[in-house]
Amino acid sequence: MSIFRNLNEGLHDICFIWWREMKLMARDEGVIIFFLVVPIVYPLLYSWIYNNETVHEVPVAVVDDSHSSLSRQFIRMCDASADVRVAYYAQDMDEAQSLVSRQLVKGVYHIPSDFDLNINRMQQATVSVYCDMALMLTYKAIFQTAQLVTMDMGTEIKTKLAGRYTKQEELIASKPLAFDEVPIFNPSGGYGSSILPGVLMLILQQTLVLGIGLAAGTAREQNRYGQLVPMSKHYHGVSRIVAGKALAYFMVYAVMGAWLLLAVPRLFHFPQLAQWTSLLAVALPYVLACIFFGMTVSCLVRYRENVMLLMVFVSVPLLFMTGLSWPQSNIPGVWQGISWLFPSTFGVRAYVRLNSMGASLADVLFEYRILWIQAGAYFLLAYLVYSFQINQAHKRIKQEYQEMKERVEQRKKHTQA
Amino acid sequence: MRELAILRRNHLYAFCMVVFPVLVTVFFTSMLNEGLPTEMPLGVVDLDNTSMTRSLTHRLDAFQMSHVVARYPSVAEARRAIQRNEIYGFMYLPKGTTDELLANRQPKISFYYTYTTMAAGALVMKDMKTVSTLGSAALGQATMRAKGMTDEQIQTLLQPIRVDLHQIANPWTSYNIYLTTMMVPGIIMLFIFLISAYSLGTEIKFDTGKQLMEMAGNNILVAIVGKFLVQTLIFLAIIFAYEYYVFIVLGFPHLGSPWMLVLLGLIQVLSAQGFGIFAFGLMPSLRMSLSICSLWAVLSISMVGSAYPVMGMDSALQSLSWLFPLRHYFMIYQICIFNGFPLIDAWFHFAALVAFLLLPWFVLKKIKNAMLTYVYIP
Repeated sequence: MSIFRNLNEGLHDICFIWWREMKLMARDEGVIIFFLVVPIVYPLLYSWIYNNETVHEVPVAVVDDSHSSLSRQFIRMCDASADVRVAYYAQDMDEAQSLVSRQLVKGVYHIPSDFDLNINRMQQATVSVYCDMALMLTYKAIFQTAQLVTMDMGTEIKTKLAGRYTKQEELIASKPLAFDEVPIFNPSGGYGSSILPGVLMLILQQTLVLGIGLAAGTAREQNRYGQLVPMSKHYHGVSRIVAGKALAYFMVYAVMGAWLLLAVPRLFHFPQLAQWTSLLAVALPYVLACIFFGMTVSCLVRYRENVMLLMVFVSVPLLFMTGLSWPQSNIPGVWQGISWLFPSTFGVRAYVRLNSMGASLADVLFEYRILWIQAGAYFLLAYLVYSFQINQAHKRIKQEYQEMKERVEQRKKHTQA
Repeated sequence: MRELAILRRNHLYAFCMVVFPVLVTVFFTSMLNEGLPTEMPLGVVDLDNTSMTRSLTHRLDAFQMSHVVARYPSVAEARRAIQRNEIYGFMYLPKGTTDELLANRQPKISFYYTYTTMAAGALVMKDMKTVSTLGSAALGQATMRAKGMTDEQIQTLLQPIRVDLHQIANPWTSYNIYLTTMMVPGIIMLFIFLISAYSLGTEIKFDTGKQLMEMAGNNILVAIVGKFLVQTLIFLAIIFAYEYYVFIVLGFPHLGSPWMLVLLGLIQVLSAQGFGIFAFGLMPSLRMSLSICSLWAVLSISMVGSAYPVMGMDSALQSLSWLFPLRHYFMIYQICIFNGFPLIDAWFHFAALVAFLLLPWFVLKKIKNAMLTYVYIP
């Protein structure tokens, strides 16, 4: 009988705490910003920024010292390519340099005066490419276009020079070994499609941690004794508190998670290959791990705003540690180790591979297990720090009670005297 | 003097102003230490298995960036290995490649690579492409030599036009140089934003605003300058330490003069503080101004356009990027320090940063009002 009563009471308490936490959340504008506004607006903003995926028509300047039909052909072919636009014809390199310095062009093609002479003499001709290296993508566009165009022109010249008998022979001689290059999983090579799925996962973690931290800070400041956990008959039993709060956050993030992981990629046409079952299987431990991680962190801060100072700047290093922009195999061991502390590392990896690469749950089993382990470990940690907090609160109140008692007794003595 | 005491009392300041920036600098410089990722895992699906295809594999393995870790019996298997994150790409050599090559029937090989990690995919692709072209060239070379051509002729026939690449200021194509120089200043700027708003906000929170105004003789300008002088000096020290470490110790390219670095550091700190104070003045509440500052700063790391260039974004976003101090910082850095052009070429961005520095002017009155009358509501 008592087990049932305990259970019943526990459930009631959980629900009460859940209800109170929900009310607190709705009342606190800081929490609302991080729980609602940021997760809704940020993905849209980021998707908008990266929506064009690749750069096209990078402006370049041309210095044509050759003035021949071949050099003009080269310029025409570059201009016709998707990635490069010939914006200026400069008289000499000095003029071209001043164009670069004014940011009007991102690179310079220089065709030397002996360009067509060399080709007609059956000697190797050169085209000089000068790139502004400040931006990686424009450099890639300028250099790769030049390479493609020279290779195309080269094949044409080769076949003319070699003097073969049949068309087929010409083709084979110019390229004895043909090859196909197949970019899989992100065929357009878009920047947005590669980086955004990871960013979405990271937003989920960061907003959760920030929101929980803010909520905890508010609770602490509103409390009379600056304690995290209020004194009330519902707030006994650590597991009830942790479970009740987690339930409230979980409800909000069930919705937010669906928005971030399903709706946004669909809206902006990012690759979406995951099965919903495996996606759910990964998202569940991830959100739980993030919640308990957030609760653990929230106990460590004293003022509500401090959590912002702590958590905001880690987002960028965290994104790097997931191995999205810098290959995971080349991250130094120390940072690999540190990255194990955060749920986002494994959450992002699992999500990207499920969603962009169409992997099955079996392929991300390692990450999946780690996420559950993290969820468990952070639950225990949250449990421990909360029980520590509660103990302190009890001690504080007992002390206060004792002091009050003493004071009352003293006053009694006083009046008696 | 009062500020010094505040800074010492609250450990948060020490962490945000000194420890974290140093940590971030160390993080990025050590993480990207290699410059270009090397020895990335690759796979091979070799169904032909002749000495020719094996030598192709060996040659691929010998490349600096690639490392052949496994051979797979089928394409499906290799694809699963990519999904398991074991390799970044693989080369597919179908059965009969060597036979057809010797019979002059132009066989076709393929390479597959994943673009979900941009850097790895692009570099792996480059290596595999080079190896395929070289393999094809080596064979052509042999036939031409048999026909009695000179080496020079052969080279001309193989590659009639050569691209002579000049990578100005970053000849190693090092990722370290172009990511660290944007990320670290970006994060330091984030801290300046936050600390500026935070230190003003705490005056209200702990109800010390009136005391501050009294000390300043009820002059808000004096109060603000006095309050931020210490912070400015500390941040300047941090910025200069970062610049010294990155550009002098690590030898990152800086074609501009050292004075340009000093000037850039100075204007960076001042304009970021200006923005932080302005954000607080707009909304004199600690949490709102902090939220705005952090969201703005995190967004500016994307809007700066160093990973994905601003010119590729929609035109509305291109104009919006002017509102981010980091964007102007990056442009000045890129024009005057990285490429070493004179300051006049970046005058617009310099003027914009000065404008950010002057922004608090508009909200001085509001801040004064807030300091004197506002009561902190939790």
